[in-house]
Amino acid sequence: MRAQFVLSEIWIGLRRNLTMTVAVITTVAISLALFGAGMLINQQVSAMRGYWDERISITIYLCTESSPSKHCIENGPATDEDRNSLQADLKAMPEVASVEYVDQAAAWEDFQNRFSNRQALVEATQEGDIPDNFRVQLADPSKYERVQQSVQDRPGVDMVSNDKDVLDRFFELFDGLKWAALIVAVVQLAAAALLIGNTIRLSAYSRRRETGIMRLVGASNFYIQLPFLLEGAICGLIGGVIASGFIVATRFFLLDKIQDWFYSGVELSTGALLSVIGMSVILGVLLCTIASFLTLRRYLRV
Amino acid sequence: MIQFENVTKVYPTQKRPALNGVSVDVDKGEFVFLVGPSGSGKSTFLRLILKEEKPTKGRVHVAGKDLARLSNWKVPHLRRRIGCVFQDFRLLPNKNVFENVAFALEVIGKPRRFIRKVVPEVVELVGLEGKGDRMPDELSGGEQQRVAIARAFVNRPQILLADEPTGNIDPATSIGIMKVLDRINRTGTTVVMATHDAAIVDSMRKRVIELEDGEVIRDQSRGVYGQAY
Ligand SMILES: Nc1ncnc2c1ncn2[C@@H]1O[C@H](COP(=O)(O)OP(=O)(O)OP(=O)(O)O)[C@@H](O)[C@H]1O
Ligand SMILES: [Mg+2]
Repeated sequence: MRAQFVLSEIWIGLRRNLTMTVAVITTVAISLALFGAGMLINQQVSAMRGYWDERISITIYLCTESSPSKHCIENGPATDEDRNSLQADLKAMPEVASVEYVDQAAAWEDFQNRFSNRQALVEATQEGDIPDNFRVQLADPSKYERVQQSVQDRPGVDMVSNDKDVLDRFFELFDGLKWAALIVAVVQLAAAALLIGNTIRLSAYSRRRETGIMRLVGASNFYIQLPFLLEGAICGLIGGVIASGFIVATRFFLLDKIQDWFYSGVELSTGALLSVIGMSVILGVLLCTIASFLTLRRYLRV
Repeated sequence: MIQFENVTKVYPTQKRPALNGVSVDVDKGEFVFLVGPSGSGKSTFLRLILKEEKPTKGRVHVAGKDLARLSNWKVPHLRRRIGCVFQDFRLLPNKNVFENVAFALEVIGKPRRFIRKVVPEVVELVGLEGKGDRMPDELSGGEQQRVAIARAFVNRPQILLADEPTGNIDPATSIGIMKVLDRINRTGTTVVMATHDAAIVDSMRKRVIELEDGEVIRDQSRGVYGQAY
């Protein structure tokens, strides 16, 4: 009896303010989708950051005949001697895990493989554009600066490039994206809370006859408020379910794109996706229920 | 059953008190008429019993409880022991007679089986047998008021408060309503009824409390409406 009564009251309430209900659900869905997307980007970026931190390498390019830098023009192309002593010194450094010599042909092949999905870039590059280089794998990635500085000014060294600088710039971009999504989500959530408050107020007003009688015959406050609270909770739930769709879409379109760009093998697990969806839905339900509760305290005299 | 000790009520927006130093004692099983001109404080008196309003001064005891000490979350339990009837019936237009009466039990969580048993009994008690499936707009004013009385009484309250229950009803029909209230009173329920209806008060010969400007100016057992000097 109780459950049936409460359910029919909720259904009537939701239908009576259909336009408001739709507005609330839409706002909740958008804000939760942004919230979820922000969370996903956050998780993806920190997973990729971990992946890359482990694999960070320093590439030391050697001077060739055509190197345009001042340093190379002064000292001429790297000699075999330059190369051998550099390799020996690198191997002696405690920060260095391994050193690999990559000649022009190998560098060109590697480049083609890495950017096989960007044909335009591959076509614009030729063998020889990428000079001979040493690829240095670090034992402790945080020490990269020391290694970089100690080899930078050696004869025959053109330039030292560090993956980390490039990656950091990309990660900053995604951090910005994440914060933008989260900030818009918070603003939207606030708007959603106000809309819910308004809807519940309308609902309480249109049901004032019933609630008046309930009060009079001694229904408990909880029982009087329950249909309104559940009305809010259901709006939150439906909004959350719709948002889940967007969150899944974010995972399979946006994040997979990011993966491609970054050439990193970290995929977010299904568990991580589900936990983001779960958090979004719970946030939606809680927010709507609390907003309803606060509204009722003001507009439903008991 | 109901005790007012020197009760004064001043509404926040008003300067003049709606009730002024009222002391009244109503025993269990009594039938009391509350009479007096408009604005004399009759409805205020009833609202204080329900703890819909709090007295500015003085104490109100209902069913042995000091209402000032009754915490807010217990007020619903107080109201379950008090039935209420109003001039404007306050029925739910989208529910039939049975459903309107059952509503009062549903919302306090009574089991379905219990509701199915007692609702028809009470509908019969107020004289509406055979009309349980009618909607409120298919009933006369007198019949609607009977539904309201059935709803107020279905939980067997110790006290029934009626605020001008015959105010919207013609004199002939009013007599029927009074018979129902009298029948309820005979089951041991205390009845307090605010009214302007002199004929009814005179015919019933019950206790009469007369208010004027918020003060009790007459309290007479087996009284009449107008003052008998
Ligand atoms: N909610 C309220 N806020 C402010 N003043 C009120 C309120 N309710 C009643 N009053 C005032 O208190 C006084 C008593 O009102 P009350 O309703 O008790 O009179 P009454 O005897 O029931 O009158 P009537 O016969 O017209 O129903 C009146 O002056 C009225 O204006
Ligand atoms: Mg009145």
